[in-house]
Amino acid sequence: MEHFYLKVFRYDPTKDEQPYYKTYKLPVEKGMTVLAALFKVKETQDPSISFRYNCRAAICGSCSMKINGHGTLACKEQVTKLLEKYNTDTIVVEPIGNVKPLKDLIFDFDWLLEKFKQVKPWFIPKEPPPADGTEYRQDPYDHHKIDFASDCILCASCVSECNALKANKDYLSPFVLAKAYRFAADSRDGARRERLEAVLDHFNLEWCVRCWQCTTNCPKEVQPYESIIRLRIIAAEEGYKTPGERHAEIFEKDIKERGLLNEMLLPIRQEGVLGAVKRAPFGIKMFFKGKVNIADFFGGHKVKRHEEVEKIYEKAKEKEKEVKIRIPQILGVVYEDKRKTRKRANFLDKGGNE
Amino acid sequence: MAELKYAFYTGCSAKGVAPELYNSTYLVAEKLGMELIELEAATCCGAGAVQEKDEFLSLTINARNLALAEELGLDLLTICNTCTVMLRETKFKLDNDPELKKAVNEVLAEAGLEYKGTSEVTHFLWEVIDGVGLDKLKEMVVRPLKDFNIAPFYGCHIIRPVYLIGYEDPDNPKSIEMIIEALGGNPKDHEARLACCGFHSFWSAEDEVTLRLTAMDTEAAKEEKADFMVTPCPLCHTQLDAMQEEAEERIGTNIGMPILHLPQMIGLALGMNPEELGLQKHVISTENIINKITASV
Repeated sequence: MEHFYLKVFRYDPTKDEQPYYKTYKLPVEKGMTVLAALFKVKETQDPSISFRYNCRAAICGSCSMKINGHGTLACKEQVTKLLEKYNTDTIVVEPIGNVKPLKDLIFDFDWLLEKFKQVKPWFIPKEPPPADGTEYRQDPYDHHKIDFASDCILCASCVSECNALKANKDYLSPFVLAKAYRFAADSRDGARRERLEAVLDHFNLEWCVRCWQCTTNCPKEVQPYESIIRLRIIAAEEGYKTPGERHAEIFEKDIKERGLLNEMLLPIRQEGVLGAVKRAPFGIKMFFKGKVNIADFFGGHKVKRHEEVEKIYEKAKEKEKEVKIRIPQILGVVYEDKRKTRKRANFLDKGGNE
Repeated sequence: MAELKYAFYTGCSAKGVAPELYNSTYLVAEKLGMELIELEAATCCGAGAVQEKDEFLSLTINARNLALAEELGLDLLTICNTCTVMLRETKFKLDNDPELKKAVNEVLAEAGLEYKGTSEVTHFLWEVIDGVGLDKLKEMVVRPLKDFNIAPFYGCHIIRPVYLIGYEDPDNPKSIEMIIEALGGNPKDHEARLACCGFHSFWSAEDEVTLRLTAMDTEAAKEEKADFMVTPCPLCHTQLDAMQEEAEERIGTNIGMPILHLPQMIGLALGMNPEELGLQKHVISTENIINKITASV
C-alpha cells in the first residue's frame, strides 16, 4: 500500500455547528506514527488542525486520542501496524470518548482533573520520616502491591471507552480510581480512610462493570481495573459495608454449602424482603418462560463430590494468611496471532529484581 | 481430525436462569461432533465476587475445577465468558507462580486432589472455529441465515484482558462474524459490538449504570436494523434479554431486540427446530426469527 487516508474529527465551536470529518491522503512511510501523520497533515495540507502533543515518546500523556475506535497515545501507534490490524486503508482519529471535545482532537481535561483532585492524589505520610535522615522504607511485597499502579501518566486513554462512565458521567473514572488505589494501598500512607470515603461517597466502586476496557486501553500497563477491584478489597478490610461485600458473601456461602450459585434466591439474600418484592415481577416473568429451577427455591442441589469443597474451604481459610499472592505485572504489549501470543505478563517487578 | 472431546464446565447460569443454553449447547455440540463430558463435581467460578472477598479461596476452588478436567485428561470447555476469564486467571497465576501453586496444592491435597496445569481452558466459540472448523461448519449448514442481519455482542470477558484471554485482538475481534458468515448470515457492525452489558455492576447501581448500558447496547443493534443480537455469554444474555424491558421502561422507548445464545444461532442454521433450541424461553419475543426461519425452508 503506497497511500493511506487519515480521517480526522474536526470541530471548531466558534465556527461549526456540528463536528465533521475531513480526510487527508498521505504516503505510507515505514515507522510513521499517527502523531507524525498528523504533523505531516498540518505541515503540508492543513495548518488549521489542532491536537495536543509534547514528548513524542509515550511519556508525557498529551497526545491521547481515539484511533479507530480505541483510546490510546498517537505517538505510540504506528500507521503500518494499524492498517494491518484493522485491514483497512483508513485511520480514523477522534478525541477520546466520554469527554467534551473542545477543538478538533483537543478535549476538556479540566473536568477530569476536578474528579482527580477528590481522591487527594498525593502522598500523605502516616508518620514523620525516619529520625536518622533516611527515606521512608517499604517491604518489597508492599511495594509490589502498588508498583503496577504507579506509572499512570494521566493521558486518560482509559476514560475513552469506560463503560461505567459511558452510562454515568458522575463516575470518577478509571485513572482516578487507580490513583486512589495507588495511595490507599501504600503501606506508608496515612490518609487511607479519607481516600476511601471520597470514592465510596460516589458509590464509584460499585459502578465499575468489570469490563477490563481501561486495562486494555492503557498504554503504560497501569491496570486500572485491578486497582478498582483492590480498592473494593481494601474498603471491605477497613470495615466499610458495601453491597459488593454482601454479594461476595453470598457467592462464597453458596460455594461452601452447595457448589453452584443459587441465582433464584440471590435477590432476597442481597436486598432483603424489599428487594424480593421489587424483583417479584422479574421472577414471575422468568418462571413463565421456563427459566426457573424450582429446586433452587428450596436450597437446590449440591454438586457431586461436594465433601472435597468443604475440606478445601476449611484448609484454605486456615492457610490464607501466610500466602502472598502476587499481582501480575503486564510487561510490553504484544498481540499477534490467535492463542499463541498474548500481552505478556509476569510476576517480576519491573526493575527485574526479584 | 483430532478427537473433539472436552471436560464441560457448565457454570451456574446454564444450570440456573439459562437452561436453554445448556440444552442447545448439547444439541449443537453433538451435531458438530463434539463430545462433552460434564464436570458434575465442578463449583461456581466465583465470578469475581469471591475473588474480592477471599482471593486465595477462589484460587483453590478454581484450581479444583481445573484439576477435575485434568483427571479426565481433557481441556476444559466453558460456555460463559466470565467463567472463562476466572478459570484462565487462576491458571495463569498458578502456572506463573510456583510458590502459589505449591500453597494451593497443599490445600487441594486435603481432598486428595492436585493441580498440575495440564488442561487448557477454552470456550465453545473458539472450539467451533479451531476444533470443528469453519469449512466443516459451512458444509453442515442446511438453512443458511441469509435473511438475517445479525449483531454480534462479544461480551467483555471473551476478549479482555488480552493477557488472560489472548484468543484474538480485543480491539478488533472477528470470531463471531466469522461464524455468522459461515452460517450464511450478514454480520452487522454496531456501536456496542465490544461494549459491556452491565451485568457485573451491582444491583444498587442498576439505575445509574446497568440498565443504561443495556438500553444503549440493544438500541445500537436496533439502529443497524439487526434482526437479533448473538452472544457467547449467558450473563450478557440474561442482562440484554431478561432486563431489556426494564431498561426500556427507564429510558421510555421500545426496543424489542431479540438476543440469541451462540449455540442457538448455529443450531438454527444446522436445521434444528427453534423450539428444541429453546427460542421460546426468551423474554424478548423471538417470534419474528422463528417465522422467518420456518418460511425459509
